[in-house]
Amino acid sequence: MTDKAPSHPTPFRPSRRQLVSGMASLGLLAGAPARSARAQKRIPIPAEGDFVPLPIAVPNFAPGTPSDGEVGVGVTQIITNNLKRSGLLAPIDQAAYLEKAVNIDVVPQFNNWKTIAAQALVIGRMTRQADGRLKAEFRLWDVATAQPLAGQQYFTQAENWRRIAHIISDQIYERLTGEQGYFDSRVVFVDETGAKERRVKRLALMDQDGANVRYLTRGSDLVLTPRFSPSTQEITYMEFGQGDPRVYLFNIETGQREIVGNFPGMTFSPRFSPDGQRVIMSLQQGGNSNLFVMDLRSKSTTRLTDTPAIDTSPSYAPDGGRICFESDRGGKPQIYVMPATGGPAQRISFGEGNYSTPVWSPRGDYIAFTKQGGGQFSIGIMKPDGSGERILTSGFHNEGPTFAPNGRVVMFFRDPAGNAGPSLFTVDISGRFEQRVPTPGFASDPAWSPLLS
Amino acid sequence: MTVKIDKTVAVSIVLHVLVIGWGLFSFSTRALPLPEEDTVAVDVISADQLAKVMAGIKTGKKENPKPLVEKVAEAKPVDETVGKITEKAPVVTDTTPPPQPKPVEKPVEKKPDPPKPLAEAKPKEEPKPVEKKPDTTDPIAEALKKEEKKPPPKPQAAVPPPQPPKPKDRTFDQTKIAALLDKRDPSRQAAVGDTLNSNAALGTAKGKSADNSATWGRLFKEQVDRCWKPPYGGIESQNPIVAFDIRLKRDGTLESAPIPEGTPATPYLRVLQESALRAIIECQPYKLPAELYDEWKYFTPEFAPDRRS
Repeated sequence: MTDKAPSHPTPFRPSRRQLVSGMASLGLLAGAPARSARAQKRIPIPAEGDFVPLPIAVPNFAPGTPSDGEVGVGVTQIITNNLKRSGLLAPIDQAAYLEKAVNIDVVPQFNNWKTIAAQALVIGRMTRQADGRLKAEFRLWDVATAQPLAGQQYFTQAENWRRIAHIISDQIYERLTGEQGYFDSRVVFVDETGAKERRVKRLALMDQDGANVRYLTRGSDLVLTPRFSPSTQEITYMEFGQGDPRVYLFNIETGQREIVGNFPGMTFSPRFSPDGQRVIMSLQQGGNSNLFVMDLRSKSTTRLTDTPAIDTSPSYAPDGGRICFESDRGGKPQIYVMPATGGPAQRISFGEGNYSTPVWSPRGDYIAFTKQGGGQFSIGIMKPDGSGERILTSGFHNEGPTFAPNGRVVMFFRDPAGNAGPSLFTVDISGRFEQRVPTPGFASDPAWSPLLS
Repeated sequence: MTVKIDKTVAVSIVLHVLVIGWGLFSFSTRALPLPEEDTVAVDVISADQLAKVMAGIKTGKKENPKPLVEKVAEAKPVDETVGKITEKAPVVTDTTPPPQPKPVEKPVEKKPDPPKPLAEAKPKEEPKPVEKKPDTTDPIAEALKKEEKKPPPKPQAAVPPPQPPKPKDRTFDQTKIAALLDKRDPSRQAAVGDTLNSNAALGTAKGKSADNSATWGRLFKEQVDRCWKPPYGGIESQNPIVAFDIRLKRDGTLESAPIPEGTPATPYLRVLQESALRAIIECQPYKLPAELYDEWKYFTPEFAPDRRS
């Protein structure tokens, strides 16, 4: 080794001994055995018994100012009613609460709520602002773990206090069930009054819980099959005016009405496309009825079916790619699925009876229908390929299903035998939690709007 | 700048790496599975407590529990290594000289112990070979002395006694064996009993296969189900499962917050996890068998509400 001037640091030259010990320690490290962790016992816990709704406590929303007591109570009642009618949550009676006056700014005394067996707790407050607006705030607590689950603050016009209550209900429902909410929505239906032989039928609009009923037509003419646009504040419906029945468009906000198109013949059962730009309907010419689509902007129409059978009651899939409709081309009315632009139709209903009024769920996973057979009218659902058919309710006369915006609840109308008139009912897609929707008079032909928010 | 390394060192390093690497890969095997160690419950007690536990009562019953066995072997007829010996009549000849005690006693002492029939496997025979010698000589000497008394009245011949008749004096009297047996009470107990165990075999608490999770698992499930309100999954069967690691104290309350396994992928699974967590917390304390505490102090319940409605 030559001697070098120390202008650079001497390179590290490990001696033989250092090398050997270095390798040895490396070997030891590499050979360290991995410890196998001992697994503890896994105990399977299946769910037992019937479904039990989640117990939840909803004390009255606190008044932010002394004059807000009434709106606080009103909001609380709407929320309580919504959650109870969903069937998935069970609001506890306020009479059982140990603590009635709540404060949203502090952490609640959870023992007070554990004692009454509440698993969730809603604390809220309504405050009228100086500028006339209304501030609504709420917090959702998990009682067992003492954790906040959700919380929100809203500002709105004072007259929209009901909508705020529905929006808060949706937040609570979504957080506790994992499902999308459906309370902030409306239902358009045909309101019927008068004697059975001379029923006056008017188009009516209400909140999904039965409040805020508004009449859209005067009742001089017969109206049928109102349907909501999925994206705009418009309704399409049929009206038997002078001459043939026509399909109309009605703008809720402006109140304006227009005829969808001038077609020779009668037009029936209109429905909007998912983007709200087209209306699909059935047009009767002569003895048969075929499907037509009309673009609302360009007013151009397209024929979709051309069969000697009666094809009617079409409904778009939420992605707009396919439609389902009712046809008796096979002899009896059955449900068919077809591409939205036309093409071969595939039959999907194969049970005993007549299938009619198919409607596609907003979630895309089910098609609801009316089934008639064996002296009964039933409301049922099936998957878009026709499998998994299940009947939700059966009776003397049930008809006209429509899906809630979250695809979990179906509304339909039921006509009892005798002189009484029809009423609206809702049922979960499992067939549970069937209950009546309060309406001012008799009601039929409901259609559920999408979520307003 | 080049690093100067001795060539031999370099080669040595390379070879070492190769050998060690090969050794690591080829000799590495999966670690032998540790046998399931049964946990033994250990309680630390003081000497006073031990004395109290062990103290008896003077008026108590004398415990002499018979050990229970699982199976009683069939009693086999035991071969007698020596054939049945018939009693030979003592041959008394005229020429029999009076037996001389001394030379006769010696062969007697050396006489091999008559084989005892092994009818029972009682170890009480074990101490016998040790104690038998001092006992047996006495009865035999006594017996011999009795015999001595008999021949003297007979005429005695001066003929030198032939050797063969001498062994005839040593008559093998089987009945006298009974006298030879150790009649003391057995001082040792049989290690193996002969009564069948009437309890069906469940395994012992200290056995290798100790797993009573069916028992306490069912108890835990029943108790937590009281509080559990699973979310409504709807009619689609998704097979959802959420699991937690939980640690319980002896009184059945949670020692620490339950640790969920994994993060939920969908809103439904999140809600399911929260519902199970609520149930675990609400239903404290859990009443589970105290003697199995080591099994249930740390376990993983799996909540599976697969509800097909």
